[in-house]
Amino acid sequence: MKRLLGVTLGILTAIGGFVDIGDIVANSEIGARFGTALFWVLPVGVIGICVYAEMCGRVAAHAGRPVFDLVRERLGPRVGLANLSGSYLVTLMTLAAEIGGVALAVQLLSGIDYVLWVPAVAVALWLGLWRLRFETLERLFGLTGLALVVLLVALIAGDTPWSQLAGQALDPVPTEGEDWNSYWYFAIALFASAMTPYEVFFFSSGGVEEHWTRKDLLLARANAFIGFPLGGLLAFGFMGTAAVFFYPNGISVSTLGQAVLPAGLVLGKIGLACAILGVFAATFGAAVETGLSSGYTVAQYFGWGWGKYVPPRRAARFHTVVLLSILASVALLLTMIDPIQLTEYTLILSAVVLPLTYLPILVVANDRDYLGDRVNGKLANFFGMVYLVVIVVAAVAAIPLMIVTGGGQ
Amino acid sequence: MRVFLGFDLLDRQILDSEGLPVGNVDDIELAVGEDGVLSVTALLVGAQVWGTRLGGRLGDTIAGMAARMQRRTPAGPIRIPIDQVRETGAAVTLAISRDLLVEPELETWLREHVIVRIPGASADPEADKS
Repeated sequence: MKRLLGVTLGILTAIGGFVDIGDIVANSEIGARFGTALFWVLPVGVIGICVYAEMCGRVAAHAGRPVFDLVRERLGPRVGLANLSGSYLVTLMTLAAEIGGVALAVQLLSGIDYVLWVPAVAVALWLGLWRLRFETLERLFGLTGLALVVLLVALIAGDTPWSQLAGQALDPVPTEGEDWNSYWYFAIALFASAMTPYEVFFFSSGGVEEHWTRKDLLLARANAFIGFPLGGLLAFGFMGTAAVFFYPNGISVSTLGQAVLPAGLVLGKIGLACAILGVFAATFGAAVETGLSSGYTVAQYFGWGWGKYVPPRRAARFHTVVLLSILASVALLLTMIDPIQLTEYTLILSAVVLPLTYLPILVVANDRDYLGDRVNGKLANFFGMVYLVVIVVAAVAAIPLMIVTGGGQ
Repeated sequence: MRVFLGFDLLDRQILDSEGLPVGNVDDIELAVGEDGVLSVTALLVGAQVWGTRLGGRLGDTIAGMAARMQRRTPAGPIRIPIDQVRETGAAVTLAISRDLLVEPELETWLREHVIVRIPGASADPEADKS
């Protein structure tokens, strides 16, 4: 049992990356518009994040160093600061979106407008980050988030036209009424959501929080190779159900309520309740991930004390950054900005900062000062290089595509 | 000891003898010895030297602000003599505890004015570990 619980860091990290509020709606929207024609992006993203998370986990376990340390060290103070600004902004906007997402999930249950829930959700989040142990947070939200498996159950239990889904997936071109621009726009958004920078910040810092040592290399790998594929599978639950229930009828998806609906259509009230519980836990987990990551990035850039494994008074600057980030997120949400649209823009912005995050990881994973004889093998370097190229192409194309398609409209 | 300053020292994390973070190597102090050889005499930590190294208008502004906010005497960055460095690897490890060094003012200020005023600030999150 303890061994099983050991991989909850990977699970929570992946849930925060793959099925946070923006991804849930994006996956459903993609399923409704393209069927499964964009399915291929999920495995591409899963393999990419596995490759790099494994490197980060190895550096965290072997050298005890989290990722953002490496960013400044390898890129210097100026480029490091540019990356910090970009990554922090992406993390902060995502944090705001997740707080909004939790509030939206509560709205589905209570019928009371989400904006009224925002302050309460923010207070609950801050209390959790202030008082609960890291492992508690990770297990609570990582495991409850698995309730989202209900959408996969809905796919299997319902009379899903599998051959039709497979046919769409094997014909990866824009569907009728869609063009290549929006096809690639959504492909990049989906890819970026798999590889969001805060995932590696959180994953590697979490490894340090859990005191991984050289003996835990296997555990670090298990976290990466179990957690992220699971996250990708949960994301497919939304894309697949939308492809079955909305795509054939030409229904467009833009709300959380629509995204969870298929669970209710197939499995009734219980299914719907499970889906809403899963959304609640997954978005809250993503809020935990981004909230802590906002502090991790800033503290690690400056070399401050950080983390939940020390009492808050030993990491005053770190906890102040976390607190201010939550307050800023609430302020952003109270401007009545739509949380779902917020994450969709965030995904594209994160595509732009990805190269500056992943390049230092690849470099350090080959450094014997850090890893001794545990440096990257040929296979890890091959995939690392291939993905770095993909990341750079996605980063360059992201903004022009966003402008051309008007944000995928 | 032969090191590549820009690569092996600058911007590395500094840990104290117990592995607690002290700061980053924001700059280094060099001196010319009697034999005319340049050597590293100290690691420098703080927003003032970080700002100077950052350069440009932003860097100058940060360095200026950090200098104005300083209250301790003598003013200037936190200086860690090089003979206190035990090891340079993935991080720079010191031979002394960080309690013997000057604490950064921002940390002290935020702890005393913000963090300790919130209940639970001293709770050790790992004390109840089973």
